[in-house]
Parts: sequence; structure tokens; C-alpha cells
Amino acid sequence: MALHILSLRCTLLAAVTAAATAAPLPPDHAARLVRGAELFQREVRATLLQHCHQCHGGDATKGGLDITTRDLLLKGGESGPVVVPFDAAKSRLYRLAAHLEMPGMPNKAPKLADRQIAALAAWINDGAPYDKPLVGTGAAAAGRLVTDADRQFWSFQPLNTTPAPAVRDAAWPKGDVDRFILARLEARGLAPSAAADRRVLARRLHLDFTGLPPAPVVVEAFVKDTAPDAVARLVDSLLASPHYGERWGRHWLDLARFAESHGFEQDYDRPHAYHYRDFVIRALNADMPFDQFVQWQIAGDELAPGNPLALMATGFLGAGVFPTQLTEKEFESARYDELDDMAGTMGTAMLGLTIGCARCHDHKFDPIPTRDYYRLTAAFSRTIRSEVELDLASETHAAALAAWSAKRRSLDDQLAKFEAVQLPGRFDVWAKKAAGEWGALFPWLVLDEAKVQSLDGSTFTPQADGSMLLAGKNPNTDRWVITTLPLQGTLTALRVEALADASLKKQGPGRADNGNFSLTDLRVFAQPADGSKPRARVKLTRPRATFEQNAGGLSVASSIDADARQTGWAVDPQFGKNHAAVFEFDGPISAPGGVVLTLELDYFTNTRHVIGRPRFSVTTVPSPAPLAGGMQLQSILTMARLAQELRLTRLTDAQRFALISMNHPLDGAWKALCKALEEHDAARPKPVMTKVQVCSEGVKPMKHHADDRGFPHFYKEVHFLRRGDSAQKGDVAQPGYLQVLTRGGKDETAWAAPLPQDTTTSHRRAALARWITDPRHGAGHLLARVIVNRLWQHHFGRGLVGTPSDFGAQGEKPTHPELLDFLAGELIRNGWRLKPLHRQMALSAAYQQAATFDAVKAQGDPQNTLHWRHTPQRLEAEVIRDSVLSVSGRLDPALFGPGTLDEASRRRSIYFFVKRSRLVPTMQLFDAPEPLVGQGARPATVIAPQALLFMNSPQVRAAAKDLATALQKSAASPAQSVPASYLAALGRAPSPTELAASVAFVAAQEAAYRSSGRADAAHLALADFCQALFGLNEFIYIE
Amino acid sequence: MKADMNGMMHRRAMLQRCGLGAGALGLHGLLHEEGLLAAPAADPLAPRKPHFAGKARRVIWIFVNGGQSQVDTWDYKPELARRHGQTLEGFDRFTGFFANAVGGLMKSPFAFARHGQCGKWVSSIFPHLSRHVDRMAFVHSLYTESNNHSPALFMMNCGLPRMGFPCVGSWVTYGLGSESRSLPAFVVMSDPRGRGLPKGHAANWGAGFLPSVFQGTHFRPQGEPIDNLKRPQEMSAAQQRAQLDLVAGLNRLHHARHPGEGELGARIESFELAYRMQVAAPEALDIAQEPESIRKLYGLDQKHCAHFAAQCLMARRLVERGTRFVQIYSGGMENQLSWDGHNDIAGNHTGFAQESDQPTAALIEDLAQRGMLEDTLVVWAGEFGRLPVAQKSDKPGRDHNPHAMTAWMAGGGIRGGTTYGATDDIGHKAAVDRVHVNDLHATLLHLLGMDHEGLTYRLNGRDFRLTDVAGKVIRPILA
Repeated sequence: MALHILSLRCTLLAAVTAAATAAPLPPDHAARLVRGAELFQREVRATLLQHCHQCHGGDATKGGLDITTRDLLLKGGESGPVVVPFDAAKSRLYRLAAHLEMPGMPNKAPKLADRQIAALAAWINDGAPYDKPLVGTGAAAAGRLVTDADRQFWSFQPLNTTPAPAVRDAAWPKGDVDRFILARLEARGLAPSAAADRRVLARRLHLDFTGLPPAPVVVEAFVKDTAPDAVARLVDSLLASPHYGERWGRHWLDLARFAESHGFEQDYDRPHAYHYRDFVIRALNADMPFDQFVQWQIAGDELAPGNPLALMATGFLGAGVFPTQLTEKEFESARYDELDDMAGTMGTAMLGLTIGCARCHDHKFDPIPTRDYYRLTAAFSRTIRSEVELDLASETHAAALAAWSAKRRSLDDQLAKFEAVQLPGRFDVWAKKAAGEWGALFPWLVLDEAKVQSLDGSTFTPQADGSMLLAGKNPNTDRWVITTLPLQGTLTALRVEALADASLKKQGPGRADNGNFSLTDLRVFAQPADGSKPRARVKLTRPRATFEQNAGGLSVASSIDADARQTGWAVDPQFGKNHAAVFEFDGPISAPGGVVLTLELDYFTNTRHVIGRPRFSVTTVPSPAPLAGGMQLQSILTMARLAQELRLTRLTDAQRFALISMNHPLDGAWKALCKALEEHDAARPKPVMTKVQVCSEGVKPMKHHADDRGFPHFYKEVHFLRRGDSAQKGDVAQPGYLQVLTRGGKDETAWAAPLPQDTTTSHRRAALARWITDPRHGAGHLLARVIVNRLWQHHFGRGLVGTPSDFGAQGEKPTHPELLDFLAGELIRNGWRLKPLHRQMALSAAYQQAATFDAVKAQGDPQNTLHWRHTPQRLEAEVIRDSVLSVSGRLDPALFGPGTLDEASRRRSIYFFVKRSRLVPTMQLFDAPEPLVGQGARPATVIAPQALLFMNSPQVRAAAKDLATALQKSAASPAQSVPASYLAALGRAPSPTELAASVAFVAAQEAAYRSSGRADAAHLALADFCQALFGLNEFIYIE
Repeated sequence: MKADMNGMMHRRAMLQRCGLGAGALGLHGLLHEEGLLAAPAADPLAPRKPHFAGKARRVIWIFVNGGQSQVDTWDYKPELARRHGQTLEGFDRFTGFFANAVGGLMKSPFAFARHGQCGKWVSSIFPHLSRHVDRMAFVHSLYTESNNHSPALFMMNCGLPRMGFPCVGSWVTYGLGSESRSLPAFVVMSDPRGRGLPKGHAANWGAGFLPSVFQGTHFRPQGEPIDNLKRPQEMSAAQQRAQLDLVAGLNRLHHARHPGEGELGARIESFELAYRMQVAAPEALDIAQEPESIRKLYGLDQKHCAHFAAQCLMARRLVERGTRFVQIYSGGMENQLSWDGHNDIAGNHTGFAQESDQPTAALIEDLAQRGMLEDTLVVWAGEFGRLPVAQKSDKPGRDHNPHAMTAWMAGGGIRGGTTYGATDDIGHKAAVDRVHVNDLHATLLHLLGMDHEGLTYRLNGRDFRLTDVAGKVIRPILA
């Protein structure tokens, strides 16, 4: 204790010297400060906290005064200092509190007790010391501690497992849900209502589960179906409908403040945000376990990085607004706002808690200290919005790939079989022929066995196709000498090819920097192989080429002209392609023992303009020699001849195999099989990549106006902030969770997991996701309660907890706490699947009650919180519009994909593009919320512009006309079409009064239209009636 | 009260008409037998009593979009002229938007003269408004929290520089309801000259988390101002009437089978209101009905201000008929499209003053001569002020200034000819009796009879207010 006071004294002295410079310190100030600090701890602190701090440092700093710390207190407010240390009489704080000066403080509240005022005075006279700030300042992050007492609040407790109570009327309950309901009714002396009419029930179930009215045939079939499981079968079929996900997905999208634009100044579109909406629909339709549904929205990218659906789910985090025009001063505060939006939306949507309240100060009503807020927010610190390419149809792609691979294997087999079985025989046949006159089999003989030499240092590497590839030294000028082996046959022409190659610049065919070459001079000499005549120059004529750079000095003719130093064949700009030039011999060349040719090629025209991959061939085809055509390597021919001479049977297997392999690229049948394989390979199915807006870490951020001014998109760490102000940073907040929802002595390490290999993210969110879904030690029990309540709310018109997004101290208490916990337990026991829960609710007698009003019962329970009847509900905006489309036969039931802003669209309303600055008027008219913060319940207002929509909107009118057209086709007269339209729109036949009034109305309208000369009077009159039907209360209220 | 009477009257008249149609005869008999009348409607827009008797009952807010320069309009600064051209020492060049175009101090290009009994110095660009200074209370020490258009617009409209909160017009209609049931309670008019919407668009008149019925009805700048006001082309008025009678008759039968559901009755009534709205709304906006003298007063015959004159005149006709809150945006989006005079402050402000000066002055005068000014609050304010230093350019302009701006109010409950607060010598920052935007809102609500701390809406467990956790009524400007 002594030590504590000593250290306290030092701190206090430092503070005093720094802050109070004006007045001299009293000589005994040290002792007085110690005494003052004790008084502060004992009494003054509580007074300041209770009566002053809320306006001066807590929620507000009225008059610019913040008394949170001593420094701030001594700084004073807008009207100057409020405390003169050691002098209460001169201190306004005391004077205002003592009502010696006006306005007396605390403002608009009773005067402090005399004892409190006296303590204030004594404390100021002792120097007004603090032992520590009034509240955690964020920076210090002392904050309030959460205790087990806080965890006693009903919604933070573990789930209760109360068995269903006994009831007097044992016949009414269809299950446990009903026993919980009935017990409360009986306790209040109330009886439930009778079961709803079958037609009413059919309509209620359809609109409730799919948001679309039932087709008349479906209603009739259900009415006639007297089997005991008729309702269960209907419920199952509705739960299996793809429209279930559209209906219930919309409820979730309200909570997720889902929209597809940034909001703020430019409100730019987020064209790939709709995938989140599609995720929600798909997940609900597939009955994805709710804990997984939640986990993926928080951390799908970390928990299932390979699953496109999991990535789509992360759209939840990034669906909030974000300013696109920021000044430098706003960078960081905008990011903190964004983090607040992520954590806050998660809190209200999933936990029914207003976490955001703790941003500036400890939550006033719920045990959520500021410290918890920043630690929770830290999970999102590096998470940003991004657009990534995903293969959304990975299953389709996998199937296509499997089919392709099977075909590939069969083609492979065919080829292998051909090579093993047919090729050898075919080779034998070929070899016999080839040994004869080769010119009859193919026009060009490739001189692959020739000796190639460069006089200037180029090196040649033989290639399988008989060409030579040049590499290494690239001399400025070059001269080649090529000497062939003896050639049989009557030779008529020489072909020089310049082939493209990936290793050459610009892929060749030349070695020049631009891929060109220039063959300056070409000379050919011939000599009989037996040496019977001397070597003689062969005159070359009729030069031709696939392409020549010009008709003059770079033409193919210029390679054999008189100029042997400057001009020569070149091919600019046809680079990267194969080229060929043919030079015919002045006369045919042959000799009985074969002829040896010597080719001389000079490259002098330009530096390093040498052919990069030459190939030389000769032909026996008479003039004109072709540029193209089949070819064979001289080496193969040699082998074939040798083989023939040696007799094939005497070859070893290896020799024979080598020969066959060398020849088969020339076999037509083999080539056809190879081509088929190549074509198949080219047709390998590719995944269809789709751009998807996700949230993750380490990804490319979406474009922002301030990118070029260094907007960082995120800051690596979250700091504790004082009063939520990013200019007043404290320490770094380490990720953590809400203490009040963490039990069993666990801390955040309980949900950490080893980082997977190759991960690019911090897995902070993955851990958070595990915590929030852990019913034992984390927030899972509250998560279950909140979603169960939302389901109940939408089925029954009111949640068991009337404030569906506030399960905190300010919210309503549950009307049936045991039932809520029972259902939450059921959810978890069912593996978090929602469909069984829907089923359980819809199959209860409580749900299936009539909606009949009862004045006596209503007096005792006007809100119907006890469920003595089914509460009638006005349909939501989307359901109203979708019903009009559906009944009139205009509905396009296509699921998923990009949305539209076109009000004339015929798709379901959930597929409207949600642009924050251009919300669809019809949706807003019927209370669709602005997608800015998550909302758990919509109002159902009744205003005149809604009626104007039914009276005058072009869409409603068009629907009425379409319905009239359909009715005219199937019904001869209004007396028939009126009942048909009642069935279509309301699921029932009209009463005699309704029928009479309606038929008379149609007749009167028709007469009026006819008298004004309308040829389509009957149709318009019927349309007027159909439109009236849409305007009926019965059309938009479910009983 | 008046509206309820009308409703009752109308219901009776409708039942009579119902009896006339041959086909509805049986229906009529049935209805008559069962003596059906709708249960009291829970109309969210029904007029409500304020917390206390306020002097103002309705508001017309001229929103000076883009941010007017206080030193070139209402806040006369001779010291600025004396220091013209000097560097402003210690100036934070990131105050505005263009940190690299900060010039020296720049005097106003306009001459100032004293006007009215109060002797208010006013810039020469307001020859008409300057005649009404004795009706206005000026707040020179107003400041805001953002130097950027849309956050500042949100701040001025919704009380926080973030998106997603209800705007002042929505709060007022939420608090007071509407005095007309056949006209929108809260109307917003934006620039009709194709110069765009204010930054942040509809969020400036959105209801945020309040029920959407309280959002501003934004009149379409071109074409039909309100959705679904015209009946289908092929239908005659009588045919639509007959159709609505059928709807009403069938709905009453349904309601008879479902007693105790007040909403059903309210909805039956809403069709009658809608029917009246079809007539009432076009009538309210039909300024052709106004006499020539009035049309001239507003400047409808002047090309430079006819569009704004029409909007001001429509605003008067609307509030006269019970609309609670009208907001008119002067100027479109940004830069030269609104008062956002980054370049050529002289040309920019001259132009927008010419557009709005005569019509706004006429509005005050017209309201006064009809005895309506005493309970109609006219507000003139934008999202922020502008800097006393130049924004460099061929023709210099002024950049954004969140630290000071001038707003004035006139009419209901305002002490005319007063000035509250002051900026420093050069008009850079609010210096004396500083007024936060929350304070301005608190004052506005107070004038309408509402305690800004008591006007709350609970969302997700928190009570929200227009003034967040602050706000202080500026009492010295109250009458």
C-alpha cells in the first residue's frame, strides 16, 4: 500500500507540474494530493461518473468539456478552465455544482447531495487528483470487466433444456411446440382458435414459404387431400421448391444490408456483388447447416478456399456502403467506419447485439466494453473487398472434363494399337516401294545426311525433320558449304527452306534481330559419285519463293544473279513463318552410281542475316517443281534400302523398331490418328471463369478514386480508439471476442487453429467464425436463439422475442423463453439445419390456427403474443409484386444471375439490382428498407401512394390486361371469368354477392368502353376488374 | 382533424355513389345493413402534436448546394481585403480538396453595403434578398465535420457525416406527421436544368432506418414529378371511379368478415386518399393558376431564374396546402454545376445568386403577405463554407472550408435582423459562439416544437436522434 501511494504521488506530481502552471503550489501539496486521490477513489469518482461524465466525456463533451482524465479536466471547456487546483472557491466545477453560479449542474437534473458537493470541494482543495481515468480511454483500454454476473442475463445464458409442459387439452397439440404454446394460453384461461380453413392454409403456406400464391389446381388438390399427412407433404414440397430460397433469402438480405453499389458521392455499381445474393438463395435451398452458413459469410475464403460458394458468401462482409471520394484526412476514419460496419452488421444480424454501441464508449446497457469491440473488430483489420475470377460451375466442368478424358484415352488406345499392330506391316510394304523410285512416292527428298559446314563459325544442330538449327556464334557474314551423299534418280531442282523456330528472334526464320535473313548468293555443283566426271557448276533457273521482300535486290532471283556481294532473297515482314525457295536445274542431273551435290551459300547482304533453321531438299519432279508437297528424309530412304537389301527379317527387333519409328510420321493413316488426337486436345474443356465480389485478405482491392493518392484500403492493425476517433489511437488491439459470450474459462486461443500451408490470410476471421458458432464455450447458443426467433417471427408475424435484432438489455424479453430455448436446441440437435425447424413450426397447431379476430381475447392480449390465433400479415413489397406477376402469368421464374433496375422486368423482385441511390420505387413504397444498416423487421405502412400504384402503375395495368387475356381464352363470359380470376388471385371462389357485383361491374365498364368506341371493350372491362382484384386487401394480407 | 372530417364526409359520399351503380346495388344493401365504417386508421402520416407549442409548423429549406462562400455573401470581412494577397501563415493545405492549388488570401470580388434597420452588410449579388435582412437571423459561426461534399451533405441533412441516417425532413415528418393527406408530406426538388443531383443523391432525403414513408418525395426534375399520378390512358375518370367503388365495396365485405383489423380499414381509406391525390397534387403544382403579379414577383418571366422561381412558387403552394417540409436544391452536382466555386468564384457565385436571389426573396415576401411567414421557417444553408485563401486558377476560386459557413433562417419563431456568432477576422474559422450542425438541427426542431433529445427512434436496441449525442438550441436568434 505504501508503495502504491508513493508511485501515485510521483505520477500526480508530474501531472500537476505539467498542467497547473498558473498558481504556485501550496507547500504541503504532496500530502494533499495523496489525500485527494483517496477521496477521489472513495467518493468523487462515483459522483463524477454518475452525474457529470455522460455529458462531459461519455456520450458528449458539452461545452467542449471532457472530464475523463485529469489533464482534460484541467484543460477546461470552451468557456475556460473549470477547476483551479487547490482552490474550490475559484473553480467553476464546484460553483456550478453548488449552484453558486448558473446554469446549475448537473443540467436538467436535481442538485447533488450536500455531502457530494462538499466532497467535490475538498477534493479540488486537495489538487483534484485522479488515481486513474474515469473510464477506459481506449488508449489505456482499461474498460469495464465482464463478470459472471453479466453472463446471467437471459440471452447470454446457456440454452435451457426444459421439457415441454403438460397441458389440459391433450388433443390440441400436434407436437412439443404446441405444448409450450398451449400451456401459456391455458394459464391465462385462453383457448386457441379453430384450425384454419384448408384454402386459407394453402395460401398461407405458399406465400409464407415461397412468396408466390398457389395455382388454383394446387389449392383444389390440397382441399381434396384428406390424408393425415397432407399438410406435411405440402410443406415438404414447398421446402423443396427453389422459390423457398428466394423468399427466405430476402429476409436474410435485409439483415445483411445487401446492396450492389458503394453509396456516397458517386454510388458506383458493384456489378459482381449479386453472387452473395445467389449464395444466400443456394445455401437456403440446399439447407446448408446454419452454423456453416454463418461461418462462410465471416470467413468462407479461409475455411473453404477451394469452394466458390464459400467465397461468394464473404460478400456479406463487403455489402456495406463505402465512400469513393476521400480526402487524405478521411482515409483512416473511413476504414474504421468500414470495420464498424462489418462487425456491427455481424452483431445485429447474427447475434442480435448492438456491438457498434461500444465503439466510442463501453456499451451503456449490455456488457460489451469498448475493449471487446476493438478486439472483435481486429478480426477484420486486413479484410478488403475484391473481385476474383472463380469457376462457379466447377461440377459441370468436372463432368465435361471426365467425358473428354475418356475420349482422350480411347484415342490414345487407338493410336497405340495402330502403332503396335498395323504400322510394322505397313512399313514393310512401304519399304519395298521406297527402295525403288523414290520420286514416285513423294516429291522432295530431304538432304538430312548432307555434311554442313560454316566457314565463319556457325554451328548446326540436326533436327528430327531434317532441318538444322543454328545457335551460338552469330557471325556478321557467313559462308556455308553443304556436301550431299550420292543421290539416286534424275534430279530437277533444289529447294532451300528457311523455317521458323521458337529459339530465334521474332521466331525467325532468320537470325537477324528482326527475324529476317538475306541469302546473298547460292551456287550448286554436281559430280558423279564414282568420280567419272569432274565437278561442274549447275546453272540455276526459274527461282520462286513462298514470299520475297521485294522484286528487286531482295527477291529470290537476286540470290542467283550476277551480284554475289549485295543482293539476295529476304522475307521482311513475314517473320515467324516457314519460307521456301525453289531453284530448278538448267537440265536434269543423274548418274548411274548417284550424284554428289555441293551447295555454297553466302550471306553478305546485311549483318547477321543468316537463315536460322535451313533445310535442303531435291526433287525429281519435272519442271515446274512444286514449292510444297510430301517429303522424306534421305536417311530413312537409306535405311529402307539397307533393310531391303539385308532383308527385313534379319533385322534385330530394336533395329526394326527404330526404322518403323522413323518412318511412321510419313504414314497417312498414322497422321490421321494423330490429327484426331491433336484436335481433341485442342477441344479440352476450359472452366468458365466468372468475376465475383468477395472479401478476403492479400487480394487486389477494388478500384478507388484515391488510389493514386495512396489510399491504403486497410491498415494492418486495429488500434483502440478514444471516443471512436482515429486521430486518438491507443495500443494495437489483438483479436479477441465478446467476453460475455465466452465461457468455461476459455480465451481466444480456444478457437485458433494452426495456419494451413500456403494460406495468404491471417485466419483471424476463421477463428472468429468458430467462436460465434460454438454453442458450448462461444456465442453459438445466442446465435441459435436469434435465428430460431427470426424463423418464428416470419412464420408467426412476431418473434418470441419482439426485438429480433436486439437480444440485449434494451430488447424485449422472450414471451416463451422455454420454447425459444427448446427450438434453439432442436436446431443444434438437427445439425443446424433450418428446414426441419420450418417444418416443425408449420406443422404445429399453433401455426395452423385460423386468424379469426376475437375481441375478448384481444382485450387481454392485443398483440397476440400468446398465439391465441394466427396473426394476419401484410405481404412484403417483393411478395406483392411477385404475386401480381405470378397471377397474371407474367412471371419469369429464372433463378440467379445479375439483377436489373428495370421495373418492367418480369423476374422475381429479389433480382432487382439494389443501387443505393436508385432504389426501386415499388419496393420502397411497400417498406423495403434502405440497405444501409441491417434490419430485422419491416414496418407495414398504409399510405396513399401504395393505392396509386394499384390504380395507375403501368406494370399493374399490364398485368391486369394479361390476366384478362388469359381469362378470355378459357372462359366465355364474365360469369365464368370472374370465378376463375378469384381462384387465380385469391385461391377461392367469389361469394354470390361478390360475383354479382363483379359481373355487373364488368358489364357496366364494357358498355362504357363500347360507347366510347373501343373495339376491345370486353377485354378492357375484364382488365379493369382484374386490376380491382389486385387492389383487394385480401390479395396483400395473409390470414 | 380537418383531414379526418374530410375522410368521413367522403366515405358517406362514396357509399351514396356506390348505390347509383346498378351492379353495386346488392353490395350497397349489404354494406348498409351491416353499417360498415372503417376502424380508425393508424396512419403514419397523421398529424401529431409536437412536444410543446412551436412557432413554426412547416419548413422550406433552400439548400445552397456545393457550399457557398461566406465571405462573398453574408459574412463581411474588411480585414480580408486589407490582407489581400498575403500568405495565410500556418494554414493546413489539406483543409480543402486541392492541396496543391492553395493561393494567398483573397478579398471578395463583390462590393458590400449595409441594409435594413439592422444594418446588415450584404454582398451585392443579393439585391433582392438584401431587402429582407430584418426578417433573417444569420449564424456566422456554423461549422461542420467534413471537407468533402457527400459527407458534409449527409452531415447537414442527416446530422452525421456518414451514410445511412434519416434526414432532417424525415425526422420532422416522423415527429409531426403531415397536415395534408392528399399531398406528399416531405418534398425535395433538385436542379431542373440537367446539372445533376447533389453528391450522395437520394441518401440526402432518405429516411434511413425510419419507415420509408418518411422519406422525401423527390420530384422528378423533368416529366411527371410524381409516380403513378395519372390514371391509365384508356380509362375515363368515371370508369376509374367505378373501379375504385368496386374495390372499396369488395374490401368492405372482406373487412366485415375480418373485424378488429384496423389496418384493413386504413387501406380502404388509402384508396380514397389516392383518388384525391390524383387531383390535388397536379393542382398544387399548377403555378399557371397564380396571378401575373405573383408570377412576376418570383421572376417567372426572367430567363435566368424562371426555373428556380417555379420551384419556390410550387414550394409555397405545397406548404399552403399542408406539406410539412420542402427542400429545394440550388445548383446541381459540383464545380461549375453548383455553388462549388473552385474556379472563378466571382462568376460562379454571381450566376447562382442570380438564379436564386429574386425567387427566394419573393418566397419570403409572398409568405409574409399571406400571413404564412410567421409559422413557416425558411432556411438558407449549404453543406460547408469556402476558404478565405484563393484556389489558384486563371480566374481564382475558393476551396472547401468545413470550419466556417453562414446560414440564415427567417420566419416561424425567428428573431429577424439578428446575427449570431462570428468567424475570425478573415472568415476562416468560426471563432465566437461556435455552432455545430447538430446545434442548427436542434434549433430547427425546437422552432417546430420538438425537443431534439426527445425525438428518438429505436433501432436494434439503440435510441437514435437527429442530433446524435450533441445539439444545443441557439436561443439568441429565437423570437
